[in-house]
Amino acid sequence: MFRFVVRRAAQVIPLLLVVSLLVFALIHAVPGGPLSLYLDNPNVRPQDIERLRRALGLDRSLAEQYWSWLASFVRGDWGYSFADGRPVIARIAERIPATLQLVGVSTVAAVILALCAALLGAQHPRIGRMNMLVAVAGISLPVFWFGLILQLLFANWLGWLPSSGRASFDGGGFTDRLSHLLLPAGVLAVAHSAGWMLYLRGSLRTTFATPLANAARARGLSETRILLRHALRLSLLPFVTVVLLDASIMASGAVVTESVFAWPGIGSLFTEALAKRDYTVLMAFLMCASIAVVTLSFIADVTVHALDPRTRSPT
Amino acid sequence: MRNRFRALASVVVVVAAVATTACNKGGDLKGGAAKGASNDLLTVGYDREPDTMNRYATHILEDIQSCVIEGLVTSDEQMHVVPVLATEIPTVENGGVMMRADGGMDVTWKLRPGVKWHDGVPHSSADVKFTVDAMIKGDWKPESTDGFDRISSVDTPDSLTAVVHYKEVYAPYQMQFARGTLPKHVLDGRDIDKANDYNRNPLGTGPYHIVEWKTGEYVLLEKTKNYWRGADYPKINRILFRFVTNANTRINQLKSGEVQMVALVPWDKVRELKGVASLRLNRVIGNGYEHVTLNEKHFPPFAELRVRRALAHAIDREQIVTSMLDGLVTTVNGPIQPLSWAYEPNVKSYPFNPGLARAILDSAGWKAGADGVRTKDGKLLAFTLITQAGFAIRENVSQVLQKQFKDVGVNATVKLIDGTSISSVWFSGEFDAMLHWWQSGADPEITLFFASDRTPPAGRNINYFADDTLTAMLYASDRTADQGKRKTLLQRAQKRVAELVPELILYNTSKIDAVPATLRNFKGNPTNAGPFWNVHEWEFANGTP
Repeated sequence: MFRFVVRRAAQVIPLLLVVSLLVFALIHAVPGGPLSLYLDNPNVRPQDIERLRRALGLDRSLAEQYWSWLASFVRGDWGYSFADGRPVIARIAERIPATLQLVGVSTVAAVILALCAALLGAQHPRIGRMNMLVAVAGISLPVFWFGLILQLLFANWLGWLPSSGRASFDGGGFTDRLSHLLLPAGVLAVAHSAGWMLYLRGSLRTTFATPLANAARARGLSETRILLRHALRLSLLPFVTVVLLDASIMASGAVVTESVFAWPGIGSLFTEALAKRDYTVLMAFLMCASIAVVTLSFIADVTVHALDPRTRSPT
Repeated sequence: MRNRFRALASVVVVVAAVATTACNKGGDLKGGAAKGASNDLLTVGYDREPDTMNRYATHILEDIQSCVIEGLVTSDEQMHVVPVLATEIPTVENGGVMMRADGGMDVTWKLRPGVKWHDGVPHSSADVKFTVDAMIKGDWKPESTDGFDRISSVDTPDSLTAVVHYKEVYAPYQMQFARGTLPKHVLDGRDIDKANDYNRNPLGTGPYHIVEWKTGEYVLLEKTKNYWRGADYPKINRILFRFVTNANTRINQLKSGEVQMVALVPWDKVRELKGVASLRLNRVIGNGYEHVTLNEKHFPPFAELRVRRALAHAIDREQIVTSMLDGLVTTVNGPIQPLSWAYEPNVKSYPFNPGLARAILDSAGWKAGADGVRTKDGKLLAFTLITQAGFAIRENVSQVLQKQFKDVGVNATVKLIDGTSISSVWFSGEFDAMLHWWQSGADPEITLFFASDRTPPAGRNINYFADDTLTAMLYASDRTADQGKRKTLLQRAQKRVAELVPELILYNTSKIDAVPATLRNFKGNPTNAGPFWNVHEWEFANGTP
């Protein structure tokens, strides 16, 4: 077990290095740089562009830029944002609580939704068919569209909920924060629970058909008992793995939802940084996202390894 | 077990009930937000978060900054340059501008007495001198040092007089200090890039100061005590700028009353807002013009005058303006817009006439092939028209242009490019034609768009158009500070541009701001000075919407 953990951990470092190189190359391959926004102002002249290029260190070779970035990144110096000149680490840190809140709440909600729907669906075929319909809709609706429709419905027509933002200005009480959270968290929860529900549903159906379930039936256990005591227990492990992996992507990938709902998390920071080609912020964000994905999949691997004897080698 | 399911079901019902209650409370909050538009608080939905509050370093619109930092002058809703921290605009007539024998000029700025920075320190000519010195030194990141690099020195004979010595005649000198001054007593001897106390919360002389900047969410401004215009100004106590980057969300917020004002409403959203009773859509003619750039270097057929004229006749601008833009804009025939003092209305125009366009192309030797596309010497009259992706009206107009060009045997392929990339594409000159606009400040200089030596990187002549007569006229206009003489030169230049059609000029721009219907004294602004230039005068009728 210990050896597995060490071996798996050793793979992480070179992987992250390769990712950093790829990310750096990709960002610089995108047309337009941090200075292209200045060009729209006719009063910005070539000498201004040259001066700014030098000031941002963009006159150095790409290899030089990558190396100096990597050396500082490893030391914990993430540089300064090209856009507002503040330390990158501060810009990212101030956005993390909002993202954690949104992703945390929506993940819990999505898990509950997926569990309830899959369990009810397994018991009642009619609910099962309805689940399928809702799930397909949930997977196929683009998040930005679904978000805008919910805004129109709940904020503009019904007037029940605020359309966007994290809190009312000078409001900020618990109900106020909750009412701001409901729409974005709801959109994310529906989008994710749909896939998870289908996954759990499939896995429940498989275990339902195993000899184990038949044996339980032979012992006279009720279907509900078989479902909760046996099938669910067997299906839960792969389900948790999928949730863990998805949650890591969700942490970085609430980009669209955050932008539609003006949610001040790291997803909207990413959108802004991308539009401004704020290289330092983009690199730091993409590295954080990669580290989150790698770490959570590492945890998922280790968990499965610890819990499921079949994944261990015979030695 | 069934009971457990019932228990589970009841939990779901309770959760739903709680959620619904929360929803209803949210409804109360929404009512509160709508009531918020008053002389106590105006909430603005703003399309992006500022990069810095330092007016000289920002590269985006300065709306928030201009509530805090005042210029020596600003330009008003008629595009007139009006004094703010200066007592008058220096001109040749009032003796404020003196030509020197060595070809340079001296501009004397008289500062308004009694103006204090928000910390109580008097605003003085030392701040003007400090600003010029900091800009010339350039050891930080000002966006543009245009104009400042032609200044040799500044004399300060007294605390309210600054004499600016230019090395050469600089015609747009009036707007030199429109972005205000940097406070010497705060920034002297410091690295301005790193002075985040100033860059995040600048000291100004304006009607408002920044109380809080919550990153990613909002900037809150509060009225300044002891504002120099007197205790009656400003009328509105606080202004909240909420950052809502998504245009659809911003419009939804405006309709639900969560924000009460949105500056620069995208043209394709105007129809949606017309029926909202609580709003007034304020329209001013913008100092910009939408046009098709014809890059002669990249697509040589554009170098033929007859091709350019034929394309101009092929476009039905009236149809585009009435049916697609609902008459929000009007067709224009030149690069200097009607609001400018240098505008020349009597120039050659190219009315829609596809028959004439075809005849001109025929006579120029461009003959239609089997597929209807014209060719000459084996070269197809087919080019790529680029424009900004996501700019809905532009995407639509480019398709109409494509159709109208096709009707005269010219093949245009539309290619959409995202907003950030497109700037570097045109700067590199790697495109055939582009649908876009230039937005200018109050000064009518157009040299950088049309002089033959001002192709990138030296300027914005991305038509790569070269005409010696025009270039000479433009440079002569830059070298005269006498407005009357400069106007004559610029009027001749406009006629020349219309004659030679270096680009296909379509219509002027409109700036549409959605403001509360009860907001008084809102005037808008045709230039990038932005609508907040007179924010101190704004007030709500009866204090509420």
